[in-house]
Amino acid sequence: MNRSAAIGLALLLASALPFLVSHFWVFILVEVLAFALYAVSFNVLLGYGGMLSFGHAAFFGIGGYTVAILTKKAALGMPLAFVCAPIVSALAAVVIGYFSVRRAGIYFAMLTFAFQMLLYTLALKATELTGGDDGITGLKAATAIAHPVAYYFFALIVVSAALYALHRLVESPFGYTLRALRGNPRRVEYIGVDVRSHQFAAFIITGAFAGLAGALFAVSSGNVFPSWLNWTASATPIVMAVLGGIHTFIGPVVGAAVYVMLEVVISGQTEYWPLILGTIIVILVLLLPEGIMGLWRRKAKAHG
Amino acid sequence: MAEPAFRVSLLTKHFGGVQALTDVSLEVAPGEFRAIIGPNGAGKSTFFNTITGLHQPDRGEVFFEGRRITGAAPYTLARNGIGRTFQITSIFRDLSVLENLQVALLAHARRSWSAWAPARSAMVSDARPLLELVGLKGTDARVAGTLSHGDQKRLELAIALAGKPRLLLLDEPTAGMAAQERLESIRLVHRIARELGLTVIFTEHDMAVVFAVASVISVLHQGKVLAEGAPQDVRAMPLVQQVYLGESVGDSADASTEGRSP
Repeated sequence: MNRSAAIGLALLLASALPFLVSHFWVFILVEVLAFALYAVSFNVLLGYGGMLSFGHAAFFGIGGYTVAILTKKAALGMPLAFVCAPIVSALAAVVIGYFSVRRAGIYFAMLTFAFQMLLYTLALKATELTGGDDGITGLKAATAIAHPVAYYFFALIVVSAALYALHRLVESPFGYTLRALRGNPRRVEYIGVDVRSHQFAAFIITGAFAGLAGALFAVSSGNVFPSWLNWTASATPIVMAVLGGIHTFIGPVVGAAVYVMLEVVISGQTEYWPLILGTIIVILVLLLPEGIMGLWRRKAKAHG
Repeated sequence: MAEPAFRVSLLTKHFGGVQALTDVSLEVAPGEFRAIIGPNGAGKSTFFNTITGLHQPDRGEVFFEGRRITGAAPYTLARNGIGRTFQITSIFRDLSVLENLQVALLAHARRSWSAWAPARSAMVSDARPLLELVGLKGTDARVAGTLSHGDQKRLELAIALAGKPRLLLLDEPTAGMAAQERLESIRLVHRIARELGLTVIFTEHDMAVVFAVASVISVLHQGKVLAEGAPQDVRAMPLVQQVYLGESVGDSADASTEGRSP
């Protein structure tokens, strides 16, 4: 099956799904879409750029809070608030990235982590703006897309367009340069590339897309909470990306779908769901070191 | 002499109490094939790292084609026509051979910021002749890390050449090779440099390699330039022979100084 046929089929399936399932599951599908974008944006940094951010939730959270604050506190219309979300996330990424990309490896991870915890504290303490512990609730989508199925299609279009743009990026000269500097930044310097600027740009771009994902999810679920900015929230895209496979573009999408579905199904069965989910993820990662898409690729190779 | 292609003036560098380079000065003429030799610890690596922007010198200046490049960032050097290879082969191991060159050629064309146009078939027509030049024709799709050591060295050379350098800096270009392979490898570099009219500066352990291709040799000893001149002159200098523990420099094919103390 060639690529465009696969994409066409996936879009067809995605368009039919909301008519086949209950509204509860439509809501879950939106969550899958939002987290798919979040995980892919994260993986452009990790899988392509070799930068393990441990604070990517900062941008997802800022996206969510931006929509919430602008609509609830500034009484801005939802469409405008929605456009602002990735922009504000990108601005935050400029500040955080400016300091973080100066360091590599674990130091980069720690810096991003520290900035995110700073924002977490801010979300908890700046009660006037953020609602503190209680977060901000009662968000509504614009009337035209208020219906769950309508909102689903809105999310599908936004996420498809965003994934398309990110895919263009990783297949572009910029994306090739990222892949090169993942393994050998020094060599990249000596072919005439300012490595740090490229890493900085990747950080800002992926931050913006994470913000868009956060905004999508916030409006869908109707609320934002400070826990979106807590450190555990930054583990989510890491797990999704690793689960799906960090060496393919689509891996994190698959990882996000599996993760969200597992979470929904298992949490409906037992209150110990994190334990079960954790166990399943450990087993999957051990069995499939290249992620689910890695298995797919191996199969495809074996069958010619 | 006309304007030297490359000039170093009174370069000094120390690490803590260790004086690694002391007032090193040299001039390299255009088209020269200059070897920097010296026993282990003589300062070859420090010299190399200081002229390629990895270390900041404490004192002294570096000029390329008359322009001051002291302490310039590596990417600036590359953009201004200086290519380099590393002692430990430095390629993009998890990219294909072709992609290795595409990345380098795109960088040279200042297209690394282009984030929308597809790169898959970019620069292929520039990459192919380079691969042929270094003897890697037909290896396009191979993952670079799976090439033999010698082929990885060739690929690294092609990456360095992709930037259309006028000066090529090679740090121990034959490190890790078998004796016969070393001569073949350096002769390839020599031939290409001649064809393209490049100036080359290289450090080397293996005297057979040095005497096979060098047009001028600089001998470093304890961070200073001990001697400099045409190969046959340097070989005859008593001072140089003394540094190399009384051995007749360049007499035997394996007169490597590796593992010997200065």
